[in-house]
Amino acid sequence: MTIAAPRRRWVKKNLFGGVWSSLVTIGLGLAIGYVAFVLIRFLATADFTILRRNLALFMVGSFPRPELWRVAVAVLILAVAAGVAGGLINASARLRAHQAGLPVPAPPGPRSLVNGFRRYWPLALLIAVCLLLTETVTPTILVLGAIGILVASSWALARLPYSRWSWSLVVALPFVAYLVLSSSGLGWDKWGGFMLNIFLTVAGILFAFPIGLSLALGRRSSLPIVRTFSVAYIELFRGVPLITLLLLGVFALRLFLPSQLNPSSVTRILVAITIFEAAYIAEVIRGGLQSLPTGQVEAASSLGLSTWKTTRLIVLPQALRATIPAMVGQFISLFKDTTLVAAVGLSDMLNTSSIATSQPEFNARGLARITLPFVALAFWAGSYTMSREARRLERRLGIGER
Amino acid sequence: MTDPKSQPMIQLEKVDKFFGSFQALRDIDLVVGRTEVVVVIGPSGSGKSTLIRCINRLEKHDAGRVIVDGIELTDDVRNIQDVRKETGMVFQQFNLFPHLSVLDNVTLAPRQVRRMGKDESEKLAMKMLTRVRIPEQARKFPGQLSGGQQQRVAIARSLAMQPKIMLFDEPTSALDPEMIKEVLETMEELAATGMTMIVVTHEMGFARAVADRVVFMADGQIVEVGTPEHFFTNPEEERTKLFLSQIL
Ligand SMILES: Nc1ncnc2c1ncn2[C@@H]1O[C@H](COP(=O)(O)OP(=O)(O)OP(=O)(O)O)[C@@H](O)[C@H]1O
Ligand SMILES: [Mg+2]
Repeated sequence: MTIAAPRRRWVKKNLFGGVWSSLVTIGLGLAIGYVAFVLIRFLATADFTILRRNLALFMVGSFPRPELWRVAVAVLILAVAAGVAGGLINASARLRAHQAGLPVPAPPGPRSLVNGFRRYWPLALLIAVCLLLTETVTPTILVLGAIGILVASSWALARLPYSRWSWSLVVALPFVAYLVLSSSGLGWDKWGGFMLNIFLTVAGILFAFPIGLSLALGRRSSLPIVRTFSVAYIELFRGVPLITLLLLGVFALRLFLPSQLNPSSVTRILVAITIFEAAYIAEVIRGGLQSLPTGQVEAASSLGLSTWKTTRLIVLPQALRATIPAMVGQFISLFKDTTLVAAVGLSDMLNTSSIATSQPEFNARGLARITLPFVALAFWAGSYTMSREARRLERRLGIGER
Repeated sequence: MTDPKSQPMIQLEKVDKFFGSFQALRDIDLVVGRTEVVVVIGPSGSGKSTLIRCINRLEKHDAGRVIVDGIELTDDVRNIQDVRKETGMVFQQFNLFPHLSVLDNVTLAPRQVRRMGKDESEKLAMKMLTRVRIPEQARKFPGQLSGGQQQRVAIARSLAMQPKIMLFDEPTSALDPEMIKEVLETMEELAATGMTMIVVTHEMGFARAVADRVVFMADGQIVEVGTPEHFFTNPEEERTKLFLSQIL
């Protein structure tokens, strides 16, 4: 009883501090209770057969079923890459602490497994839900294997002597995964489901980022042609809805290309996304560039650094750091916007939902109320993880900021 | 032996500078000799910053000639780089690089511009940080230092390029009074080593103690040049008298 007293005081002070605050607390409490009730009733009574039958469709679209092992191998390879990256980040942080004469943190131990689950709980939730919906045991083995590999490689890399060259593994492994997935004619054109959304997001960012960066720098160039081109590009593509560009990509890109080149529809969509995203990334980076005090460039110039070195070593590290929140916001909206490809007939995860609900077995039974929340959960888990990671990164980079 | 101060290090000949239609520098003639310390004073907006920024091409002069250690500043980027390698600059706002540690701030230019190795540049940096009396702060970030410490890091950062000339633009104006002294002492020690210096400052004590000559500017022009004794005992121009009466 005595232990509960401070808690009671907290409740009284923060939840029932006055008439209004009490009313708000009661009102919101009732609303939350109602939503929880509806949710539990839904989970208890709904029939998830449509998800169980179509789980593979949601995840990888119409990727040939006998070739699914490729997806499994790719997942395992990506797990190695993630583990290596995690281990290297840890090792380099410990090396830096050591060099700076600060207390060196311990390498990852059993506790970091718990921390990992807490850090990535939205993803863990999504994976758990997917595993509950599986009909065979193979996916569970795959997930456990992937986690095991991830943990093992991160522990190993954190303990091996740190070398910058190890980062090349992190770059190379995704390519290996891609080769495994796409060899024997299963290029990204055959991809679908959540895999396609993830691919379009990652590839879109990777292609658009350097272009956007060049445009942002081009906008400040001393050469009038470069400046005009950059401004024209940015203002043109920022003013056009993505869906218009996607439709143009599907139906009109051919007009601009030599006739021998006949890119597949996913490629055309990727081009459209890259063009669009580059303009937005350029604007985000411009904001970061503008936030930099002019004294920084003057100090670098007065030391004799060339324009290019000043940009690379002084301007960009600070400007890009300042853009992290906006940049991640941009990436999250791209991730969600990849569902627009459903409108041009690609079978991404959202489109898969309509494909599943129109199967003869499930047709006209209003099952979108089952499939759409699942799609929403997948996108929420991805987006929320990105924003959590961004906030973490911001906090970490905050050290030494003035 | 000839007096080094009679050999010119910095020569400004009939320099004009415009910002749009506004003339910030008018017909500036000034020669600074080797190892000489020149203090520039004058009311706000008189063109003091613009003057010293023309010497390392942070501002481009519109007419006249600027010659630094025999190199004339033209549009040729190589000339500009050569002058900047020899000329350090310290700013009112320090302008340290906040994303780099103190040590990296100091080693950056020797490594990137002088192509010095890591170990050598760090040894040099520690030497410079010792000279400004803060070697123990090397691993910190600028944001973790006091204003006076930051300004001394900025001085060490410039010195690491082993310049022949140091330009100071109101180096103590952004500092709390108790930190001004430590920075002025550092500058005084630097002057004693024979560094050629141009210092824009309102610290008349420093001018009196360290300067070989004082330059008084107003409205983009040099109004009066003379030794500190001349300035503080019997200035000739009315404007100088008025200005000195306001700040002393
Ligand atoms: N980039 C610029 N664009 C336009 N006008 C400028 C610019 N820089 C300086 N000026 C103008 O030129 C004049 C001289 O400026 P400068 O900064 O050299 O003065 P100052 O003597 O250093 O003054 P303070 O003591 O306030 O620093 C001022 O009137 C200022 O408004
Ligand atoms: Mg000034």
